Amino acid sequence: MAKESEEKKGPAMPPVSVWAPAVALGWLIPGGGHFLLKRAGRGALLGLSISLMFICGLLMRGAMFQPQSGDLLTTLINTGGFIGDVCSGILYLLTSWLGYTQPDMAGAVHDYGTKFLVTAGLLNVLAMVDAFEIAAGRKS
Amino acid sequence: MSMNLSHFEAAFLFALFTSVVMGIVTKNTDRERFQYGAYVFVCFLAALYGIGWLMQLGHG
Repeated sequence: MAKESEEKKGPAMPPVSVWAPAVALGWLIPGGGHFLLKRAGRGALLGLSISLMFICGLLMRGAMFQPQSGDLLTTLINTGGFIGDVCSGILYLLTSWLGYTQPDMAGAVHDYGTKFLVTAGLLNVLAMVDAFEIAAGRKS
Repeated sequence: MSMNLSHFEAAFLFALFTSVVMGIVTKNTDRERFQYGAYVFVCFLAALYGIGWLMQLGHG
């Protein structure tokens, strides 16, 4: 009975010290968590893809989101976009520190750029989840 | 320095980068990763062409 309820709950959460360094490094440097876990090939591909996507977004002069309050849609889009941007880690931090400011302009290329910047962050979240699963022993 | 891409070029790059990451994080063996990445990429391109043609035909 106890075993059944354990199975329903899923695998137990591993200690924070096991996965936190890989996940934190994975946030700061895309693919860094995989390098820490000795998955250099995967880490390099993840880092390259996410970084190139972010750089393409910058070259297309995409806009960075800032959290804004207002109606629900404005809050959702801007706060969600900001979280997506921040998830790129060092790429976002460097861009902000170096003073990249691009107002949200009309135009397909700018719009694609904005989406590339946010998606790079979201793909990094997937990479961080993968690093967590490897560190927790749920995946090879 | 800036990039001025067409819709297709931008969507192609988007599909490429996303497929690589999706392939790596979802599967367990290198072979499965490559196959799934290629599958996702082809799906992106099929959607790109399909929706593109739908818009073209709907626009008249």
